Amino acid sequence: MRISAIAHEAPTIDEVETDPDADAVAVDGGEDPARLEALAGRMNRIVIRFPTFKDGRGFSLAARLREHAGYEGELQAAGDILPDQARHLIRVGFDAAAPDELTPAWERAATRPVRVYQPTGVDARSAAAERAQAGRARKVASLNVLFKDASPEEVLRHALADKSLGRIAALSSFGVESAVLLHLIAEIDANAPVLFLETGRHFPQTLQYKDALIERLALTNVIDLAPTPAELARHDAGGDLWRRDPDKCCDIRKVRPLSEQLRGLDALITGRKRVHGAERAQLERFELVDGVIRVNPLAEWSYEEIEEHARLHELPQHPLREMGYLSVGCWTCTEPAKTRDDPRSGRWSGSEKTECGIHGKPPEPELETSLS
Amino acid sequence: MYKYDAIDRALVDERVEEFRDQVSRRLSGELSEDQFKPLRLMNGVYLQLHAYMLRVAIPYGVLSAKQLRALADIARRYDRGYGHFTTRQNIQFNWPSLIDIPEILERLADVEMHAIQTSGNCIRNTTMDPFAGAAADEVEDPRPWCELIRQWSTLHPEFTYLPRKFKIAVTGAPSDRAAIRAHDIGLRVVRNDEGETGFEVFAGGGLGRTPRIGVKLTDFVDGRDLLAYLTSILRVYNLAGRRDNLYKARIKILVESMGADAFRDEVEATFAQLRGGVHLTPREEIDRIRSFFPPPLAPANDVAEGSAPSRPGFNRWLLRNVAAHKVNGLASAIISLKPIGGSPGDATADQMDAVAALAEKYAGGEIRVTKEQNLVLPHVPRGYLPKLYDALFDIGLATPNAGEATDIVSCPGLDYCNLANARSIPVAQAISHRLSADGLSDQAGDLTIKISGCINACGHHHIADIGLLGVDKRGEEHYQLTLGGSGTEDAAIGQIVGPGLSGENVPEAVARVVAAYLELRISASEKFSQTLRRTGSEPFKEAVYAH
Repeated sequence: MRISAIAHEAPTIDEVETDPDADAVAVDGGEDPARLEALAGRMNRIVIRFPTFKDGRGFSLAARLREHAGYEGELQAAGDILPDQARHLIRVGFDAAAPDELTPAWERAATRPVRVYQPTGVDARSAAAERAQAGRARKVASLNVLFKDASPEEVLRHALADKSLGRIAALSSFGVESAVLLHLIAEIDANAPVLFLETGRHFPQTLQYKDALIERLALTNVIDLAPTPAELARHDAGGDLWRRDPDKCCDIRKVRPLSEQLRGLDALITGRKRVHGAERAQLERFELVDGVIRVNPLAEWSYEEIEEHARLHELPQHPLREMGYLSVGCWTCTEPAKTRDDPRSGRWSGSEKTECGIHGKPPEPELETSLS
Repeated sequence: MYKYDAIDRALVDERVEEFRDQVSRRLSGELSEDQFKPLRLMNGVYLQLHAYMLRVAIPYGVLSAKQLRALADIARRYDRGYGHFTTRQNIQFNWPSLIDIPEILERLADVEMHAIQTSGNCIRNTTMDPFAGAAADEVEDPRPWCELIRQWSTLHPEFTYLPRKFKIAVTGAPSDRAAIRAHDIGLRVVRNDEGETGFEVFAGGGLGRTPRIGVKLTDFVDGRDLLAYLTSILRVYNLAGRRDNLYKARIKILVESMGADAFRDEVEATFAQLRGGVHLTPREEIDRIRSFFPPPLAPANDVAEGSAPSRPGFNRWLLRNVAAHKVNGLASAIISLKPIGGSPGDATADQMDAVAALAEKYAGGEIRVTKEQNLVLPHVPRGYLPKLYDALFDIGLATPNAGEATDIVSCPGLDYCNLANARSIPVAQAISHRLSADGLSDQAGDLTIKISGCINACGHHHIADIGLLGVDKRGEEHYQLTLGGSGTEDAAIGQIVGPGLSGENVPEAVARVVAAYLELRISASEKFSQTLRRTGSEPFKEAVYAH
């Protein structure tokens, strides 16, 4: 939280309503929330004044701006506020404060880390989430022991047929290795949800292959996840984001649509394997990513085993495979692999980037010990 | 009972440290009294007539023997050897010094207790049916849900500077022993057709200056969405509740001025925004909290047959102070803190220690505090009841009057409180003597008398069969008499029947009301409220004023 001695100068809400170019407004905590939310979309800065520190309306006004109106600009608390309120101001969504009385206690208060019980619209941390996360981490650890020597079929049966991990779906790129995992899933439950990230940038061959696999395996529940038109308009109106900022491009086309879907899921099956190398070399069969259990039934399979399985069951091959593509993403950022040993070397070729971000980072190891 | 984990522990410890800092800033003059006031109130510290008063939260009225001993220790060490159990299932210490309070809070933290949000304009300690987990008519034990609410409401970033204080009450049974419709929010545990746990939600109830019965907001909100729903109610209230007039700032005034339907629409619109998002409680967390509240076990065979009591009056106590239990062979025992002529709700440090020991010996170590200012041992094997009775008798806690006219509820009144207009405790004592002297209390059976020393109604006089409100009449203490209030499922606000009475006339007036009831009732099973409804208040009014 940025602390300053003087509040930002900003026009009143009456002025802003008649000035279409205004991008800042200052209001009292008692302002009509609907009126403020109606113009929040074009604001970069909103100042909420507290007439007295006992008047807590500003807290709910801020919470509404962030949570109901999705306001992302600066939110400054000004007026008669106490350092003892800093923790609350931050958690309801204020990122700046200009107290009437700026004491040394403010700096301490605004930077002190605090434990919290309840989530807020801008801070999903909560004791319950932390505990649930720790519980799932313990579950993942025991699953890895329990299924240490199990076959991919046994892992999938546990996840899909027994429903023992809760609400679950599989994620598939319908790429060159995808057929094997989808085949194993279809054998157990052809109606299991299969998520496909429809980035709008796939090779036509991938989309044809997707249709072919759906037909061949009789999959009945393939769900396309696409970015919202609003997100595309906001971040990639020119369609060249992949060139300017590939991380951002992956974020809006893959990470966000998937995380939206993951809010309703407890577990996700992926086809990642250790042989992919880099971040995946240590991949476990079960892992915890952002609170969702990832199931990687093929983590330890070699290319030979994959190809053997595909041959045995006469699974169709991705059309780009014979052109040297060993890992396929969007056409904008995929080239044929450099070598057989590094199949993902054709992804974001020429940059440091190796992952799109949908597989997150595994939780920090100290999390568990801090909760024990 | 719930046990703190590292997160709970850290939160309370941080709070103690923060308050220690605030106290030292106040003592050094960095904080003015005006700035310090809301901070100390948020930690349960009031400035009373004679001294600071510390109100300690007893989470939803549930105590372990260890916690009760810690309260006894505080009473002995920092106070004058006693504590006062309140109508909100908390305990108050009347004589601590400000400088000792951080140390007291630290001792409380050692036994997983605190004074956070026991006063101030924030969400107060949740109150609950004191027979939770034991009551024969219960749908589900509400304790895990109260714990969930406790955690959610503690140091809530958005709802710590509300227009006015905010109280939530929860019951798990169709019979309402938590007065849920006399609270800002009242929750009743229900199950839907699929067997899922949820809540019937009431809002806008409250006593005080403008007593109101809460209106129903919804028949069912899913348990996992409960916190989103509570957030929605509080958000609407925090933004729209009046702040210009202290007496019109409670949610009941907002609900009334908006109208129940408009208020409900606003809450539902907010809930539609919040539902299913971050406010959704993870299933694992609900399961985790539930695991701390296993159902009580039936007693072993060797305690099924009791010994004979050796002190007199056991049968009467059994009849009045023992309640049916959902588990065969168990019972709930009410420990009356209303000895005839005593100070309602007070317990000495020695009594607290003794009750803690009895709870451990006979009742699995758990104690409840009731809004009637009594204690309950919720799970006592029936075979132990005679021994328990003998032991309670010896420490003066076996008064067999639970739920009777002498089980009088009373706020501390003008003897302690700087809000009070009149004394409550001496009036309660005099009524108690009067009603017990000629057996009126015994004969009347179930009958509630509640006394508040001022309009803030801490003594819950609005929801008593016979209510008394202390008023200041030209510098003299007077008492208004109300009849026909109820805090149960047929919730009603008592009505004033005539002019105020002077303190010395109160015991006789109350005795006449009770005598009139005995005369008017058709049978011993007709309750006071039923008789009053049938006859109207006229015969009672005549009994009181026509002399």
